[in-house]
Amino acid sequence: MAAITLENLTKVYATGVTALDELSLDVRDGEFVVLVGPSGCGKTTALRMIAGLESITSGTLRFGCEVVNDVSPRQRDVAMVFQNYALYPHLTVAENIGFALANKHVPKADRDRRVREAAEALGLSALLRRKPAHLSGGQRQRVAMGRAIVREPAVFLMDEPLSNLDAKLRVQMRAEVLRVHSQIGAATVYVTHDQVEAMTMGDRVAVLNEGVLQQYGTARELYDQPVNLFVASFIGSPEMNLYEAALDPSGALVLGSQRLKLGQLPPGLAARSGHPVIVGIRPEDLTPGSPGAPGSLAADVRAVQPLGSEVDVLFAIDAPAAGARAQAAAAGEAGADTELFGEAYNGVARLDARAAVRSGTRMTFTVDVARLHFFDQETGRAMTAT
Amino acid sequence: MTVSASTRSGSPAPPAPAAAPPESRRDRRKRERLAERDREIPVEMYGLRRGTVTLLTLLAFLFALFTLIPIGWLLINSTKTQANIFETFGFWFASPFQFFHTFGLLFQNVDGYGTYIQWFGNTALYAVVGGVGATALAAFAGYGLARFRFRGSRVTFYLIIAALLVPITALTVPLYLTYAKAHLINSIWGMVLPSMISPIGVYLMRTYADISVPRDLIDAARIDGAGELRIFFRVALPLMVPGVLTVLLISIVAVWNNYFLPLLIFNDNTKYPLTVGLGLWSDRAVNSGDANLYPMLVMGGLVTIIPLIALFLILQRYWRGGMLLGSIAN
Repeated sequence: MAAITLENLTKVYATGVTALDELSLDVRDGEFVVLVGPSGCGKTTALRMIAGLESITSGTLRFGCEVVNDVSPRQRDVAMVFQNYALYPHLTVAENIGFALANKHVPKADRDRRVREAAEALGLSALLRRKPAHLSGGQRQRVAMGRAIVREPAVFLMDEPLSNLDAKLRVQMRAEVLRVHSQIGAATVYVTHDQVEAMTMGDRVAVLNEGVLQQYGTARELYDQPVNLFVASFIGSPEMNLYEAALDPSGALVLGSQRLKLGQLPPGLAARSGHPVIVGIRPEDLTPGSPGAPGSLAADVRAVQPLGSEVDVLFAIDAPAAGARAQAAAAGEAGADTELFGEAYNGVARLDARAAVRSGTRMTFTVDVARLHFFDQETGRAMTAT
Repeated sequence: MTVSASTRSGSPAPPAPAAAPPESRRDRRKRERLAERDREIPVEMYGLRRGTVTLLTLLAFLFALFTLIPIGWLLINSTKTQANIFETFGFWFASPFQFFHTFGLLFQNVDGYGTYIQWFGNTALYAVVGGVGATALAAFAGYGLARFRFRGSRVTFYLIIAALLVPITALTVPLYLTYAKAHLINSIWGMVLPSMISPIGVYLMRTYADISVPRDLIDAARIDGAGELRIFFRVALPLMVPGVLTVLLISIVAVWNNYFLPLLIFNDNTKYPLTVGLGLWSDRAVNSGDANLYPMLVMGGLVTIIPLIALFLILQRYWRGGMLLGSIAN
């Protein structure tokens, strides 16, 4: 049985804005589910509805088999970590952590013991008598976690808890959050806008955009089988290269002035031959190749960005780009990653660091044709899924 | 000191103790004051011309004189006899020095119309009950208006703002008639109840609650299972303390200085507050001139303002902000 069930959960604000449109998903006992999407996609609204901090316009929310739509947050027995921590500034760390227990009239001795245990689990024992103002960002974050775990909640909610930490601490705390989760084993819903965080942390990940659930599945599924263009370009970094292309009846992909031989087409695709499609190539599915070999793709190298273990090659081909990158370029968005030192590029390849690539040259890639993604140009839906 | 010690013993100065002694309250306050000064932008960097700064300083100085001169006059003339008040230079002392004699008279029933000390007690009672009541109501109302959406919350707030604009004199007749019907003439409640209504207090508390109590903190407390009353007292109120003290001060001063309302409702002079009592003395001093009432008036005025000045000095150090530090990451 699912610990949390959302059924057609909808939120329409008084202004008429639909923040969340018929969201349905379930969180199993002890599962770690991440809601991810760009800002304004409704993920935080969804979380606040689960917490009881936002009213539910329509739909049903269940904890276990009990409908909790109209249960006040006090009675829902959920714990939540806020993005800005929301620590009580005038209370000490110990009082902050013990606040919920005091509200439940847990006896003082018992309360003290549980606060001490929670503090120990999070490495806060030495700080129990400090006020939040005298803590570092990471320590405040731990206190916020402590305040949540001390209650041994059935449902654990986190709203971008790591977004205020610096990059290094964020990676550290990711592991910490997962460790705490495995200890308390509560069904957890975690909101983030960072797809890397979503991929690394979630047992399952729900991708939202503009209030609508795009795809719900494991990180692997989202990455390997994105159901539409949005998920394809949102998940993965650097993002998937997307181009407008066409399938010709002989089973080749027409990509600008080049043709990629695909071999046997899956039945869903074969039916579309001769039609325009959008093709997606993950940056790591491109490897250095030799001209003329099957699946080879020539490109102009615009820039090379070494990352240490790997190297990102920013290249341009003469096929029109599609998806988010194309939209950003069309909108002339400042800082959009379509231009580098004035050199327009429309693709990224992630190669082994030892690959000898120089910018300004023309190089040939080998495309892993088995791992291409195809999307309908009109609906943006994945075509291999059918 | 260290130098003299080392020369006497002939050995190098002893090393500084490893652990610094715990910082005293006074040292801490001094350190905080210095830190605050470090955060300030030096006046040379305001981008103002030197002449402008001088001019503004001069204006501020003149304004300070303007406010301090009457108090100085009170201080000087509280030491004089009635004759000297009228006949000697107003801004310098004259013998005989009558300060303690006049001060002593304040505690006596000099003219059979009630004593100053009784009026003082009345004022203190009205000010404390009215001021504390006004502050409590303003804190509740301000928090409610700032953090809860309910039908009519906006209209309610605008009505309170509108009430700020109505001069009390416009309400004289209706107020008196209402009081007569409600048997509040000559009643302490007639003084205290209206003093508890403070539109400016509600307005200030709403503004203060809005900036000092983050919504997330209330949400966090709700999720932590606290009831609304407990959230108010345990979470919101501690954050609103500087605002609460400001409103408390304003309310107490307003009742303390209120002349019109007590004049309207009291005709029994044992219930008079200081303002009306001094007014009574003033009338008698002008009209009859029999008793030596002018020195008493001056002394009475001086003693009246002392508690207010003391209150300001005591409360001002609670106005420091920074309570919220560390609650919200930014």
